[in-house]
Amino acid sequence: MSIFHRHKTIFTLLGFVLPALLFYVIFFLVPAAGGVWYSLTNWNGLTRSYSFVGLDNYVEVFKQDPIFWDSLLFTLKYVFYMVILQNILAILLAVFIESRASSKVWFRTIFFMPNMISMIIGGFMWMFIFTKVLPYIAEHTIFKFLDQSWIGDPNFSFFAILVVSLWGGVGYLMVIYIAALQGVPKTLKEAAAIDGANAWHIFRHVTLPMIYPALTIGLFVTLNSSFKVFDAVFSLTGGGPGRSTQVIALNIYEEAFAMNSRYGYASAKAMILFLVVFIITMIQLRVMKKREVEA
Amino acid sequence: MSTNANRALRNKPVTGGDRLGKRTWKPGSVLIFLFLALAAAFTLFPIFMGLLNSFKTEGEMLNNILAFPSKIQFANYSDAFDKIDFLRSLWNTVAVTVIGLIGIIVFSSMAGYKLSRTPGKLSGFLFALFVMSMLIPFHSVMITLNKIAKLLSVQGSTVGLGLIYIGLGVSMAIFLYHGFVKSIPRELDEAAVIDGCGELRLFFTVIFPLLLPVTATIAILNALWIWNDFLLPLLMLTDSDTYTLLLSTNMLFGQYGNNDWSAILAALILTMLPVIILYLLLQKYILNGVVDGAVKG
Repeated sequence: MSIFHRHKTIFTLLGFVLPALLFYVIFFLVPAAGGVWYSLTNWNGLTRSYSFVGLDNYVEVFKQDPIFWDSLLFTLKYVFYMVILQNILAILLAVFIESRASSKVWFRTIFFMPNMISMIIGGFMWMFIFTKVLPYIAEHTIFKFLDQSWIGDPNFSFFAILVVSLWGGVGYLMVIYIAALQGVPKTLKEAAAIDGANAWHIFRHVTLPMIYPALTIGLFVTLNSSFKVFDAVFSLTGGGPGRSTQVIALNIYEEAFAMNSRYGYASAKAMILFLVVFIITMIQLRVMKKREVEA
Repeated sequence: MSTNANRALRNKPVTGGDRLGKRTWKPGSVLIFLFLALAAAFTLFPIFMGLLNSFKTEGEMLNNILAFPSKIQFANYSDAFDKIDFLRSLWNTVAVTVIGLIGIIVFSSMAGYKLSRTPGKLSGFLFALFVMSMLIPFHSVMITLNKIAKLLSVQGSTVGLGLIYIGLGVSMAIFLYHGFVKSIPRELDEAAVIDGCGELRLFFTVIFPLLLPVTATIAILNALWIWNDFLLPLLMLTDSDTYTLLLSTNMLFGQYGNNDWSAILAALILTMLPVIILYLLLQKYILNGVVDGAVKG
């Protein structure tokens, strides 16, 4: 009886899990494992046969691919600015919005709106702003400094990409921070106010420690999404001018699908992207978990 | 602290403003409002400019890009409507999203429920196998996925694309269902089993309705993701008849060296419209869903 029962449990478990597992294995696990395998081969999209080349692809990435390293560096710079600016802006908006009474819902609705729109559409919208509207404003008003080559000059196009990404991403984090702020007990803040703390001190020593869990989520989300950024850059600059704003995801995409169809080599790059994201996420989660406990 | 003191505090919040008189905190409040208003204007600016200029002729736009259109004309819209084959693209996008959503919700709720209810190594292993994928970026999967899609000949069709989304979406949904099921008392399962319910019927008639809150969250998150996803359709859909809204709009862009902005802006507004309307209608649910998904995921 008990053996029968145990088998029955296992069979029902498998029966319930099987449909999801089937799709997951075919469209995710096998491709993921395939990525590891192909990164060790010289497979390309053009010929049918390929051979095992060991770590040659990785050696080539490290030794002979300055374009990949440029894109990695550019991505790191982007991630750095995004993690800081996006979280600061989102917290600022959340705190300010929470202090409003009647206009709260309006502001929240507006700030979250870009999140509903694909960054492909957002990027195209902003391209119109950067290439048509800003030059017009510069020509006809006193804001002459707006007349820059926002898309064509690498220094400015980095700024343009940041603006578009923040425009599209701040609202999401803001919503998370608002939810966290609503969980901070009012009595705590009031007690601090009685003790003579000013608004900044209350925020720094009462509110901020209380929303550390949300900060963990916020940093995790931003790190993860900025390392993988593709849409905003694709639609706004396409990685240009030249390859000056090419991010890793775009570099991998071009290597595999747009330029040379070097699937094996592109898989090696994708593995490196995975490792970088994985290591940084692990470090960050560990550090933040520690802080949460201490606070 | 006594309850009386507590009540006194709540009725009369002691803030810096109260002690120093109203005049000192008011400027701060005005500044905050100004800051928020400016930020809101900045957020709406590109959408507003796009909308404004989508009603102008090319000449009018060149003449004054900031002015209101002299008369509302829809020529750009009918132009864009044809160029991006709006109705067909919309239908394709809806089809992909619906197939993906239904598959993700049905399969993940079943798996998440059983995995949560079954103790033991096998169950733990399967759950870990699903959750693992949340750390792997899509870019590490896409190259081989492309090959497999060709092999199974799901490449090039909207139905095939929807099926792929199921495979990519189940892990996060299973994770959310797995957590939520713990809050549903086990006695319910047992009572239904004694009544002679089959396992699968038990699940869909008794348990699934109870999962509604988390189902709503999962539906919102995945609908947003699939609807706005660009890279996967770009890799999978090769024939313009199968293009989603984003792909059609993107093609419109590549077509012209010197961009025909009046038609493009109309196309961008058309593409945004369904989402914005839904957002304004379901705002509360969407924001709650996003928060739940982020906090638990």
